This record gives sequence, structure tokens and C-alpha cells, in this order.
Amino acid sequence: MTQRKRLSNVQNSSQSKRQSNSFMTQEEDEDATFTQPSTSQVQRGLEKLTPAQVDQKTAEVVQYILVKDQKKIPVRRADLVKHVVKDYRTVYPEIIKRAMRTFEQVFGLKLVEIDSKNHMYVLVNNLDASTARPSPVERPSNPKMGLLFVILSVIFMKGGVVRENLIWNTLKKLRVDPGQRHEEFGDVRKVITDEFVRQRYLEYVRIPHTEPVEYEFRWGQRSDMEVSRAQILEFMGQLHEQDPRSWTQQYREAHSAATASSSQASSSNHR
Amino acid sequence: MRKARAGGDDEAVRQNGSSSRRRTDQHPGDGEDHDSSSGGVQDDDDDNDLGLRREIRSKYRDLINSVQQNREDMLSPSNNKLTEVLEEANKLFKDVRQAREAALDAQLLVVATDLGKEKASQLFSEGSAFDPTAFAEHLLSFMGLNRLEDEDDEPPNGCAGDGYLPKDAWHRLARRAECCFRTAPSFHYMMGSFYTEPPPPKQRIERQRKAPSKEAKRIMPTQLKKMEESHQEATEKEVERILGYLKSYYQDDPSPISYYEFVIDPNSFSRTVENIFHTSFLIRDGLARLKLDSDKLPCIEPVEEGELEAAGSFSRKQCIVSISPKIWRELIDVFEIKETIIQPPETQSE
Repeated sequence: MTQRKRLSNVQNSSQSKRQSNSFMTQEEDEDATFTQPSTSQVQRGLEKLTPAQVDQKTAEVVQYILVKDQKKIPVRRADLVKHVVKDYRTVYPEIIKRAMRTFEQVFGLKLVEIDSKNHMYVLVNNLDASTARPSPVERPSNPKMGLLFVILSVIFMKGGVVRENLIWNTLKKLRVDPGQRHEEFGDVRKVITDEFVRQRYLEYVRIPHTEPVEYEFRWGQRSDMEVSRAQILEFMGQLHEQDPRSWTQQYREAHSAATASSSQASSSNHR
Repeated sequence: MRKARAGGDDEAVRQNGSSSRRRTDQHPGDGEDHDSSSGGVQDDDDDNDLGLRREIRSKYRDLINSVQQNREDMLSPSNNKLTEVLEEANKLFKDVRQAREAALDAQLLVVATDLGKEKASQLFSEGSAFDPTAFAEHLLSFMGLNRLEDEDDEPPNGCAGDGYLPKDAWHRLARRAECCFRTAPSFHYMMGSFYTEPPPPKQRIERQRKAPSKEAKRIMPTQLKKMEESHQEATEKEVERILGYLKSYYQDDPSPISYYEFVIDPNSFSRTVENIFHTSFLIRDGLARLKLDSDKLPCIEPVEEGELEAAGSFSRKQCIVSISPKIWRELIDVFEIKETIIQPPETQSE
């Protein structure tokens, strides 16, 4: 073993598995052995592989992500590397780049990293939803989306954070009681505080210094990507028979540049 | 710190800076500014005081409860309930002597200021306020709440509210809400995978393994597996048999045969369907070819041995054939099919 400094990320490509500690977190022991290879490493790695091999690996990654996305739980980079990429990890950035391109051009989807610290990816629809008509294909709708919509709307209209009691009370008025089993949703509390949180649609965070313990709800990282605040405001306007502009703060937030670029359609992608 | 009652009052006031007996001038106007957490520890053994203190504590607890239970009510900008609660607490505080009551006062303060913050945030937000209750009402109407009371049935959701939601209420909402989401559609295989070859060898192995293990069950599993094997073999045999028919027919008359005439059995609809099924295997394996003739009718012909290689490089097309008894009868009429080309097999599996 040469005496290279761990801090500088220059290493012999396949020899040393010991990598620097910059991404070490508790939940990702596998990721401890994987750090993003440098561009020169990627180049060298690509030279050793045939284009067909790289394409094949890209296709495998695409298929893995597609299947994993069925449950809408984000794909962890560590899992991806461990189960699919394996020996091709030196060219991982190139593979991901190609996979993203495949998703955009073939499927009309966007592969987005929603958590740059823990490296998680989700798939989002790349097509412009605001101009799209309701799908001509008869698709069974998922009632959980209705439930999620209610929660996200309340959070958004209330400024981005709400105490959990507000949500529970509002839902009770809609005949959804977290204490009882609902005939559509089953264990409501579990769906909202566990499933939606794992899917990153919601964040369920403990409020410090509360006794008894209370939590608050926020929009999750996936919602920031997937859900259009402007559309929610439109629907609000329809429901309340009010002009969406009458909620000035929310309107401003929904149409501001920061949120507009992530959740609304961005047609700046190369085709 | 214990102080004798009589002389200790003044010092207690100066040292603890909080409650004192009958010294209202020590309190600023509203008791809330007081540091009420450090109460003087003055032991009063007077029975009256004990009762009084219990009463104070109970009143504080009532106030706290009322704030917590009627939170949304108090939040409404249309009333002054919060101020009333604070004034009530003010009055109570005048009689507070000990840490226990003071602690309750502090708790009430926390709850009340929290509510005050909520109310203040309502003031600062421009534009219309958003009321979740009204929102819920609108949603219920949207979801098709049937407000007509059905006296006989209990509402299925067991809620005390009037009316009941239709079964598809949440679906209705979900469909409308879909346009707010840019969810990637879930990926699922359309038809699932379909293999014909692997199962037979696997089952034979299993049978042999299972036989020595359990005496009692031996007979039943073996029989069943034998049947399944025969189904698989039967299919392959059938396909080969049909290929035979096709080839012999083609030998006699080397022109493409009308597909319908080939597969249709005028005597039995189910046999026709079986014929279509088996023929599709021939086409899939490249042993036969389907094309449209000059009248745009489908016709079938076997593929020569040498042509098999070349066929792989052609683009493969797939199509789906459907047939119903009505169509079957029409075809028989139109094509005047009197007898079947593919003879039914000798042994009937059904």
C-alpha cells in the first residue's frame, strides 16, 4: 500500500477499497465504501469497458429504478451500487448520466436526486402536467393521493408548517379518524406518518420542548419535486369560489421562481 | 428557604421578587410579566389557605384546559376569548402564594402565548385567511356528500355528522387532484412472462424427491404432476401435428392457404380457438408465416428449412387475434367452410 493521504481523493482505481470519510453516515455502511469517483477515474474506467457493456449496465440501472419506483420509495445510491452497478462503480457518474438521459428521452421521466446528503433518487414525471388533459387511458385512481392532497394543501395554505393536530382535526371533519380503521385507507395514522414519510411526500418532525410530544408536518422532498403549488391554489380557488390571487402570500409563493422551476414543467431539458 | 411568617414578608419580597401577601403594588399591572416560576416557599398551615390554594389550582387547570380544547375557537379573530382568559389568570394570580400554583400559571402562560403567536401570525398574513374547516366543508361537497339523512340506516362511517359519503368519494378527489401531481406512472409488466420449456424437467425432479419422503401423500402428488406434464406435451404434440397438416396441404397445393380456412373448425368453436392458439406457436417459432394476400385476407404458409435462418433478420411483427362465436359463424358463412382441415386429436383431454 502506498502512503497516499486519505484526504486527497486520488487513489488507484480498483486497488484500495478504503475510501475517505466524507460521506460516512450511520445509515449507509455500504456507502462508506463508495465515494463519487473523480472525472479522470471515470475516464480511465470507461476506457476499459466496451460501449455495449456500459449500455447494458445502464439498462440494468434503468430497470432497477423503474421497478423500485413502484412503491414510490426513493432509491438509495448505496443500494444501486451494491446490487446493480457493482464492479462498474468507477464509471458510476457516467452510468447515472446515461440513465437520466434514457429516462428523459425514452420514458418522459426525470431522475432527480432529492437528498444530496444521503443520495436518494426519485422518478418524477417530466411531462408538463398543467397543460395535459386528464389521461385518455382509464387508469384506476389511487385514493391515497386524495388524502395526501388534502394534507399538502392544508400545510401549504398555512404557510408550510402545521402542528399535527390541525391535520388530524381537519381529517376528522372529512370522516377520516386516525384512531379508527378507515375503510379506504386502513390504518390512517400509519399511512400518513409512516408510508407518506418514507415516500418523502411528507415530513413528520418532532417539535422540541413539547410535553406530551407533538409533531409537525411539512412538505417532503418528493412533494417539492412532484407537486405543483400553483395547481393546488387553482383547485382551492375552484372549491372556495374565490380568485386564487386573493391568497396573496400563497400565490406569491406558488409562482415564485424558486418553486416554479422545480415543480412546474421545465422544458429546458435537451431532447 | 424558610422564613418566619410575620417578619419575613418584606425580605421575601425583596429576595424572591415574586408573590407576596396583600402587596398588590409589587405586581405590575398584568401578572404575566412576573417571574412566577420562583415562588416563595412559605409554609402556610392555615386550613383556609389550603382550600383556597386547591381552588386556585383547579381554576388554573380549568383555564388551561379551556384554552387547549377550544383552541380553534380562540384563534378566531372575531372574539376576544383569549384576552378574557388572560384577565381571568390575572385575577387568580393575585392569590398565588406557592410554587405549585405559580407553576400552573406558568403553564397557562406558555399555552396562551402559543395561541397568541398563532393569532398574531394571522394578522400579518395578507390576503384572505385560510380556514381548514371551511376547506373541509367544500371538500365534502366536492366528494359528493349526500346530505339527505337516511333515517333507517346508520351512516357507514359511523360519524355523527349528517349525510354520508359515497363509496367513490376519495377516488373522485384523487382524480381531480392528479393534475397537481407529476407522479411518474408505475412500471408494471403488461402481460407477465411466459415460458413453456422449463416446467417439465423441474416437476420430474420434484416428484422423485417427494416420493421417498411421505408415504401417505405419495399417491396424490404424483398423479397431479403426471397430468400437468401431459398438458405440456400435448401442446407441443398438437403444434407439431398442425405443422404436419400445414405442410401436407402446402405440398399438394403450393400456394398460401387462407388462414381462416386453415384454423376454423365448423363443428366446434372451442376447437377453432385451440387451432388458433397452436398455430400461433408455429408463427412464433418461425415455422410458418402469416401474410396478407391480394385481397388483404390473411393467409398462412410453412417456411422452408433453408429460409429459417433468413427469417431471423426480418423484423418480427406481432398481432393479436380475437374471435367470438358470432364472428366464427360469420366466417363460416362467408368462406363457406364445410369441413375442418385440422382434424381433432384422437384423445380428448377434456
